Amino acid sequence: MAAEEAALLYQAFVEQDPAAAIRVVEHARASGIAQDALFDALYAPAMAMLGGAWADGAIDEVAFAQAAVVAEQVGSFVMPPASRRDTGVTVVVGTLHRDRHSIARTIVAATLKEAGYRVNDLGVDVRPTDFLERIEETGARILIVFAEMVQTARAVGRVREMLASAGHEGVVILVGGGPFSADESLAREAGANGVVTGAESALRLVARAARDLAGLGEDGS
Amino acid sequence: MSAERPSAVLAAESLARSGAVGAAVSACYEALAVGGRSAHVHALLAHLMLEGDFYDEAIAEATTAIEADPDCAPAYLALGLAYDRRGGMWDQSVLVWHELAEVVPDLVTAHVQLGEAFAAAAFEDEALESWKRALELDPKEPRATYNLAIASLKREGMALALPLFRQAGELDPSQDELFFSLLGVGDPSPEPIDPARVKPTREARLGAAGLALRGEDLFTAAELVRLALDELPDDPEALALAAYAYLKQEAANEAMACALRALSLDATLATALYSLGVVYARRTGLNRHAARVFLALAKQAPDRALVHVLLAESLLGLQRYEQAGRAYRLAVRLDPACVRARFGLAASYLTAGRHAEAQWEIRRAAHYDTKRQGLFFSLYDRWVAGGEAS
Repeated sequence: MAAEEAALLYQAFVEQDPAAAIRVVEHARASGIAQDALFDALYAPAMAMLGGAWADGAIDEVAFAQAAVVAEQVGSFVMPPASRRDTGVTVVVGTLHRDRHSIARTIVAATLKEAGYRVNDLGVDVRPTDFLERIEETGARILIVFAEMVQTARAVGRVREMLASAGHEGVVILVGGGPFSADESLAREAGANGVVTGAESALRLVARAARDLAGLGEDGS
Repeated sequence: MSAERPSAVLAAESLARSGAVGAAVSACYEALAVGGRSAHVHALLAHLMLEGDFYDEAIAEATTAIEADPDCAPAYLALGLAYDRRGGMWDQSVLVWHELAEVVPDLVTAHVQLGEAFAAAAFEDEALESWKRALELDPKEPRATYNLAIASLKREGMALALPLFRQAGELDPSQDELFFSLLGVGDPSPEPIDPARVKPTREARLGAAGLALRGEDLFTAAELVRLALDELPDDPEALALAAYAYLKQEAANEAMACALRALSLDATLATALYSLGVVYARRTGLNRHAARVFLALAKQAPDRALVHVLLAESLLGLQRYEQAGRAYRLAVRLDPACVRARFGLAASYLTAGRHAEAQWEIRRAAHYDTKRQGLFFSLYDRWVAGGEAS
């Protein structure tokens, strides 16, 4: 089935008929080929046929170039989705008050966004009350607090206390920054649920927290 | 000035150029013993001390050379590199690179280094200005672009930084070198290739086509590949050459078509895997495909550092930072002088919050890049010639 569709797509390229090419793609999609499989199942075989036709002289250089233009026009219809699907999970991130280090936070926030999380980045020098306010505004249940100095790292406990006093004991607090990587007891003392040691670790921990929270249900029970 | 240099200094120069560090150092001290204080000898000693990782000694020698001649550009280079590699002296480093940029205003590397010194001292805006200035002087300067990619990673994350890494990589001639090493083609032909005079056999035509590509004579290569395909349309190697020729003409879809056809005939053909991987890597959304192709290429050519770099870049696009870091580390092990791998490794360290290690990799990249360019001796010769002119 896919081989036939690929042959039709190749034919549309050679006949310089973008509308027919798009129809083939739409038909393939309607027949059950997923968007992220279209490229491999349909487009790549059609392109290989095109290369073969040029190699054996069935089409000349000009026809090859014109077919390649049609292939370009159709390319966006068969590309896998550029960004991951929205996970629906909101994550609040920020660097603690009196700390202006931003590199690790920026990289982690961007990575989470690319992975489909709804990231609220509060920036640097964020007071515990601002974290609480944003948690209440967004309904987020995952918070990542960054601190790159020992003094500010010790102040993360204040965020946990403030969230608890406002009835948000269920919020997962992850911490990131050099002091926490160097001494994990700092995170435990602050009541954090985990230590983010980089972008990939943030992806792992946030995914696990999101899974756990989903398992608990909305009321946190 | 050259004619005025004592023979002992010339002997030290010659030894230093040949990389005989120990003998060159001895010759320098002999030259100092017979000739007294000389900016030439102290500059050479600074360079040699740096080669041996004696940073404090390099700083002392370079400073003496500059005191003897404030226009001694090679001594500024050695001094700046010594400050950078010693670490913790960013304020002095900024001053030295600034000074070198004043002494040799068209020296692109001085602006790149100045930017790196600013970045290490956390003057991010000044760093960006320096790298942009370097790119104004030479729009194809890869290291300035790598640095901009690192800055972009710090400010905006990997999605925006990765295209800059790839752009820098394509400015870097080593990527073309990889293709030709996979093809088994060495230096380009010194004479233009006349397709009519190439022996009418498949091997001769494809060999000549590879040489023509090496010499960037795309039309001749295309003509020879066409002749080969007319004889045997299902020739994967000819199709892979065609794919590369199209790639060089920015005809990505034609390149993809030829590479895919070649791989349908021989799924392990390294040259076709290379072209297909490069085409995929340039397309948004095809990182997974690029990673798959470069992984297959890594199996075919596991000893080529750049193959692992290409794989690592695709893995960065997939947010597989730890895997990317492993691929970059392998590339650095295979080729410690690979600037692209060093910057990529720095990027992967940054994603893991390992700033000091990232900074170290950037400094090593500077070391190898200036060494690769032979920058010390090009500045030295220019400085000596300037002295003669005056």
